[in-house]
Amino acid sequence: MDAVPPLRLRPGAWQRLRRGLFASRVDGLISIVLIGFLLAAALGLAKWALFQAQWAVISANSTLFAVGRYPLEQQWRLWLLTTLLALATGLSWGLLRAFPRSGPPVTLWPRNDRWAVAILVVLAIWRPMALQLALPIQMRWWAITGLLLLARWAAGRWGQAIPQVSRRLVPLIWPLLYLVGMVLISGGLGLVQVAPSEWGGLLLTLLMSSFAILLCFPLGVLLALGRRSELPLLRWGSVLYIEFIRGAPLITLLFLGQNILGFLLPGGMAPDRVWRAAWVLTFFAAAYVAEAVRSGLSAVPAGQLEAARSLGLPLPLALIHVVLPQALRVALPATVGQFITLLQDTTLLSLIGLLDLLGTARTVMANPEFLGKNAEVYLVLAVLFWCCCAALGLGSRALEIRLNPQAQPSR
Amino acid sequence: MIEARGVEKWYPNGFHALRGVDLSVEQGEVVVIMGPSGSGKSTFLRTFNALEDFQKGSITVDGITLSDDLRHIDAIRREVGMVFQQFNLFPHLTVLDNLTLAPVLVRKLAKAEVQRRALELLERVGIAEQAHKYPGQLSGGQQQRVAIARSLCMEPRIMLFDEPTSALDPEMVQEVLEVMQGLARDGMTMVVVTHEVRFARQVAHRVVLMDDGEVVEMAPPERFFSNPQHPRSRQFLSQIS
Repeated sequence: MDAVPPLRLRPGAWQRLRRGLFASRVDGLISIVLIGFLLAAALGLAKWALFQAQWAVISANSTLFAVGRYPLEQQWRLWLLTTLLALATGLSWGLLRAFPRSGPPVTLWPRNDRWAVAILVVLAIWRPMALQLALPIQMRWWAITGLLLLARWAAGRWGQAIPQVSRRLVPLIWPLLYLVGMVLISGGLGLVQVAPSEWGGLLLTLLMSSFAILLCFPLGVLLALGRRSELPLLRWGSVLYIEFIRGAPLITLLFLGQNILGFLLPGGMAPDRVWRAAWVLTFFAAAYVAEAVRSGLSAVPAGQLEAARSLGLPLPLALIHVVLPQALRVALPATVGQFITLLQDTTLLSLIGLLDLLGTARTVMANPEFLGKNAEVYLVLAVLFWCCCAALGLGSRALEIRLNPQAQPSR
Repeated sequence: MIEARGVEKWYPNGFHALRGVDLSVEQGEVVVIMGPSGSGKSTFLRTFNALEDFQKGSITVDGITLSDDLRHIDAIRREVGMVFQQFNLFPHLTVLDNLTLAPVLVRKLAKAEVQRRALELLERVGIAEQAHKYPGQLSGGQQQRVAIARSLCMEPRIMLFDEPTSALDPEMVQEVLEVMQGLARDGMTMVVVTHEVRFARQVAHRVVLMDDGEVVEMAPPERFFSNPQHPRSRQFLSQIS
C-alpha cells in the first residue's frame, strides 16, 4: 500500500474512515457489501419518498393527525397551550444554561444548543410548508418557534439577575402548566367543555403518555419501597400487585379496565373510556417502574441508610434525602426506558377504539379517498414516535449527567 | 453514660452472636473493644444505637432505655454519633451538605448557623478547604475525617467508632487516629472497636477483649497489654503483634 502523504501530520477524517472500514481485506469486503446495501436502501427510499409517494394523505389530514376531532372553533386553546409550552421550554432551557451545576456559565450558546436551534428553525420553516398549511397557520408556527428562542435567549442572558427566591419557583411552572393545559384541553372554568372522545391524534397520545408517566413514577417509587418494607402486609401487597400486573399483557388489562375500573375507582375519577385507559396505562407502567426503582434501591449500599439513621434521621427523611436520590439516579435509564415503552404502548389504545395516533391513522387509511396509502402514513407515524422517544432519551441523558456528582470538575 | 446488662443476640439464622455481655461506660471515658473477627464486637457496638436489635438484656444510653419504642431510638441516635469502617458518606452531597443535613433536618437549626459550625468542625479535622467537594474526590483518610466531623455536627454526647481505620491505606491511619485522640482529650465519651494497639495504649481508659460473643477480659490498657490474665487474651495479643 502507498505511504501516508508526508504533508498530513494528524490522521484526517478520511484516513480514520479508511482505517476503520478497510483495515484488512475481509473488513473491506464486509464494508463494501454493507455500504452497497445501505446505499441501495437509501436510494430506494429516497426515490419512493420523492417521486412515488403521495403525501397528500398527510397534508390533507394534518389537523386530524395532530388533534383528532377537536372542534375547530376551540382549537385556539391548543394554540395557546403550545405557545405557553414553548415559552416554558425556552425559559427552562435558558435558565439551565445560565446555572450549570457548578461554576459560572461557559457561553450563552454552547455547541449542542446551536445544533438544537438549527434543527428547530429548519423544522419550523420546512414542516409547515411541506404540510401545505395555510399561510396564517405557517406564521403561527414561526411565531411560536421565535418565542421559544426569544425566551431561551432572554433567560440565558438575564437569568442570573433573577433573585434566588423567585428562581426557585421556576420549576413549579411545569406542574402548573400541566394543570392549565388540562383545563385548556378539556374545558371548564368558563371554557366550553370538549369531551375526551373528541380528543385524538398526537394530542391524545401525548396527553395519555404524559399523564401516565407523571403518575406512574411516584406510584412506582412507593411500590418499590413497599416491596422492600419490613411490614409484611405492605411487602406482600406490593409483590402481589407488581407480579400480577407484570404477568398480564397490557391489552388484556386495557379491556379489563374498560369493564371493571368503574367499580374500582371512586365515582367520577374514571368517568369515560379515555380516562379509564389512562388509569390502566398508569397502573400498568407503575409495576415496571417499581422494578426499575427496586434495582436502584438495591444498588445503594446498606451503610447509607445506617449512616442516615444513626445521625437521627427518621426513616422517611432518610429515604427522601439519602437513599432515593442515589437510587433514582441509578434507576433513571431503566425508568426512562419504561417511559419510552409506555409511550409506544399508547398505540394499543387504538385497539380499544380510541383515536390516538395509530387509531387516527387507521381511520384515515380506511377512508376510500386515501386507500393504499399505508406506507406514507406508517412512515410518518414512525418518525413522529421516534421524535418523541428520542426527546425522552436525550432528556434522560442530560438529567443523568446533571445528577452525577463525579462529573464535576474536581477543582 | 452507657449501661449494658446481660445483652444476648441471636441472628435470624440461629447464630448466637452475643452471649450475655455487660459493659458500663462512664462520662468522658474512652473504651476500646478488641477481639478476633466474628467475636461480636461490632455487633455489640451497633446495639448501642439500635442498628442491631437484641433479644435479652437491657441497654441504657444517656438515661434512655432502648426499647422497641421508635421515639426512644431516634432520641438516642440524636445523642450518639457513629463512625463506620466504610465511612458511609453521602456521595450525592458535598462535604458541607453531608455535615449540615442532619442538624438542619433533625434539630431544625438554621442552615446558616449549622454551616458555620460545620466549617469550624472541618477546620478542626483539618479539611476546611475541601468543604465544597464531593466525597468521591477525597482520599480515604479525608473521607473518614469528614465522617467524624459529620457525626460531631449533631453535637453528640457519645461517639461510637466501628473499626474506623480498617478500610484505610496504612499512611492514612495516623491522620484519623490523631483526630480521635483530640476528641478524647476534649473529654468525649467514646467506644472504639479497633485493632490499633498503639491507640488503645495511649488513649483508652479501659480495654475490653471479646471472643465468641462474650467479654473475656476488661482491664486498663497498661495491665491488659503487659499482663493479660486470660489465656484467650494472651493468644489474641500474640496474634496481632
